[in-house]
Amino acid sequence: MQRGDMWRRTAQLLAAYLLLWWLLTGGDRHSWLVGGVTVGLALAVALSLPAPAAALRISPVGLLLFIPYFLWQSLRGGIDVARRAYTPRLPLDPALIHYPLRLPPGSARIFLLNTVSLLPGTLSADVSADTLCVHLLDKQRDPELTQLEQRVAGLFAISLQERP
Amino acid sequence: MMSLIDLFSGALILASLPFFVAGTLGLLRFPDLYCRLHALTKADNLGLGLVVLALMLQAQSWLQVLRLLLIWLLVLIAGATVAHLIARKALAAGHRPWRRP
Repeated sequence: MQRGDMWRRTAQLLAAYLLLWWLLTGGDRHSWLVGGVTVGLALAVALSLPAPAAALRISPVGLLLFIPYFLWQSLRGGIDVARRAYTPRLPLDPALIHYPLRLPPGSARIFLLNTVSLLPGTLSADVSADTLCVHLLDKQRDPELTQLEQRVAGLFAISLQERP
Repeated sequence: MMSLIDLFSGALILASLPFFVAGTLGLLRFPDLYCRLHALTKADNLGLGLVVLALMLQAQSWLQVLRLLLIWLLVLIAGATVAHLIARKALAAGHRPWRRP
């Protein structure tokens, strides 16, 4: 990374963390005693990790479409797993599946990894090269991964790769 | 005096309780680490989402609404990330997922 980029990234992250702390604490002056240390640590950790290859570009339309989808799926996911936990005979039929990813590597893929775990019956367990390893609570149930992947692609305004 | 908004808030908090209980119940009842992660991430996130919604209705300003939303999102990100890391580590350590016999 160029020296200038490094400084810019540091400044951006610092501004973002300061804003986050300020929002969370409501600008209480005394909170900065802890906040200063926390922001410093977060910055150190973030800078020690590799920088994302490209800046995030979120499509506003994609975002508007993604929010209700995500909320609805979170509701379904919570209800589904709660129902299984309450049912005496424990209706689980878990399996590990390998899903060939069509999203290109980068931020979109990481976003997908996180959302998979919040949707009904799926948990992202591992990712390697172009395959996502997903743990299913119930293999009889359609994991709807293709649909999620398309939504994430829409959110970041990118097109999916062809399956090899 | 209880207003309609208070009533909504109360209903949302009540609705969140079965999900927090389900998260813990799943942790105790589910057969392996992977299934337990499902219960913890999904049920608790929904429970927290309902609590956050209830509190948003009681917020005095938009800043408070934003703050509550932020708290929920940060917990979602942390929960999903940690669940993934635990599952990956467990797979790498050779823990086979439980299968229905």
